[in-house]
Amino acid sequence: MKTRFGSAILGTLVLALMAGTAMAQDKTLKINSFGGAYEQAHRKCVITPFEKETGATVQVVTAYSADAFAQLRAQKAAPQFDVVHFSGGQEIVGAKEGLLAPIDPGKLTNIADIYDFAKSGIARGEGPAYSIAAIGMIYDSKAMSEAPRSWKDLLDPKTSAHLVLADISNGYGMLGFLMLNKVEGGDLANIQPGLDAVKKLLDGGATVVSTSPEIQQEFAQNGAWLAPYASDYAFTLAKAGLPAKFVQGAEGTPASYITVNLVANRPNQELALKFIDMSLSKSAQECFANELRYTPTNAKAVLSPEVAAGVAYGAEGVKGLLRFDAATIEANRAAWVEKWNKTIAH
Amino acid sequence: MTDRTENLLLALPGLLLLAVAFFVPIARMLALSVSGPDGVTLDHFARFLSDPFYLGVLWRTVRLAAVITLICALIGFPFAYIMARVGPRLRLWMVIAVILPLMTSVVIRTFGWMVLLGRSGLVPRILRDLGLADRGFGLMQTETAIVIGMVQVLLPFMTLSILGVISRLDRRLEEAARTMGCSFAATIRTVVLPLAMPGIVAGSLLVFTLSASSFVTPNLLGGTRIQVLAASIYKSVTQTLDWPFAAAQAVILFAGVLLVLIPYAKMTARRDG
Repeated sequence: MKTRFGSAILGTLVLALMAGTAMAQDKTLKINSFGGAYEQAHRKCVITPFEKETGATVQVVTAYSADAFAQLRAQKAAPQFDVVHFSGGQEIVGAKEGLLAPIDPGKLTNIADIYDFAKSGIARGEGPAYSIAAIGMIYDSKAMSEAPRSWKDLLDPKTSAHLVLADISNGYGMLGFLMLNKVEGGDLANIQPGLDAVKKLLDGGATVVSTSPEIQQEFAQNGAWLAPYASDYAFTLAKAGLPAKFVQGAEGTPASYITVNLVANRPNQELALKFIDMSLSKSAQECFANELRYTPTNAKAVLSPEVAAGVAYGAEGVKGLLRFDAATIEANRAAWVEKWNKTIAH
Repeated sequence: MTDRTENLLLALPGLLLLAVAFFVPIARMLALSVSGPDGVTLDHFARFLSDPFYLGVLWRTVRLAAVITLICALIGFPFAYIMARVGPRLRLWMVIAVILPLMTSVVIRTFGWMVLLGRSGLVPRILRDLGLADRGFGLMQTETAIVIGMVQVLLPFMTLSILGVISRLDRRLEEAARTMGCSFAATIRTVVLPLAMPGIVAGSLLVFTLSASSFVTPNLLGGTRIQVLAASIYKSVTQTLDWPFAAAQAVILFAGVLLVLIPYAKMTARRDG
């Protein structure tokens, strides 16, 4: 009896909430963004222009990919986001679980300009990538007379004592490690070659850090020259006045795709699709590249030489981009983290 | 209503708060540490105790805590003795000097050490200039860095515990020892030290338990490579999301600290009695 009463109240509440959203549905859009400098750029490049153009209001909830995904899962029966942004491959799992809706390319005016690899999953529900953080090598252009060219250059014993590795609990750190593993002959089924390489580098004096700001500290104060990390962070270092430059490794560039996804079972999908379309536009992507040095996925984006040098740019530049299977990474994460911890603790 | 029930009634809110805020979390931690996919299991403990990596982490935690306690006692005892024996005005300044660091957050003090101990920081640079270290020498991400940082953080607890005891000692005992022909060192060793023991024990207990369970300073100064138990628990909670294993590690830390606490507590009880 008690539970029935409770559920009746809950039902009424849900109805009331739904009525509330139904009334506001036409003109508000609820999305997530990643906070800080990212959110500022996001507002400048996409959100404000979108509000101006459509007269709609965008409610931004600051939530990283994993948190936003957890919320989406919890709200499966009554989702509260219209559009979610992911950077860790969550859209692949989300699409499989039916949390995200497939996108009809006919509804997006800019989709034709997007590189094929960035939109391959939209029919399955995986949103298109509107920006890409490319993982390559950040190096100190003053300390290193010769720029590194290949991922194998990280293994040069001459630079080991000045090398910074990011912990694999860090998303970019994971991608950098998997690439190192790949060039050493491993794959997602076998990460031992990568771990062996890391062990050798640590024996040579390399350091491990767990957060991005520590990389800056290592470069600024502790004599670091070289780090496998993301293009956007190389820009952060350069902005802080360090002689840091970004270069893509010859064997390929692991990429962290930042995707914009349509949430399933929401009433105002038309507006949401317009927002997604806006994120894919040439101007929005040029803006992201200028502000944060993310690689555009729009083939028509035009960047100044200075900006272009800091990202993977143009058809040539994005050819080397590769993506490790996010589902496999997710499935193995706990085991890999433990192996990694044991390797670096020796 | 008898006095007894009245007292109990008065104490009830406090007891309830204690139960909710202290016993419930510990009970939940204990329950989590033995929970497996099919009911109660000791697998998490077995995994910890059979893996040389985790045993190494435990051993490092205990070893570092012991070294830190020892160093704190070695510095803290003479310091507290001097504090107790100087004039009241100078003592005030010394007490302020001991307490002042406690006014700053541990995190901020640790960041200070990170700047001082880094490769181009003050300490390695001086050592290099003196020819005591080579070019690539840095103190960051070493156990030495953890010990230095932790001693600075925990020294006040040791000093103040010992000061409390020494300042209550009767000075005439020392004077008597000296008139009987005892040297200064012998007076300290045979008179002051034994009488100050309860303070040293209490301080050591505080420092040991705090350093065994500390997280921020070892993590920042030791880096990700040098793990202590608290950092390992943190990694299990946030990175591998293995909460039962994290709970098992927390129980092991808890039990380890208790193991040290009991004989210490017995020792002081006997001395006081």
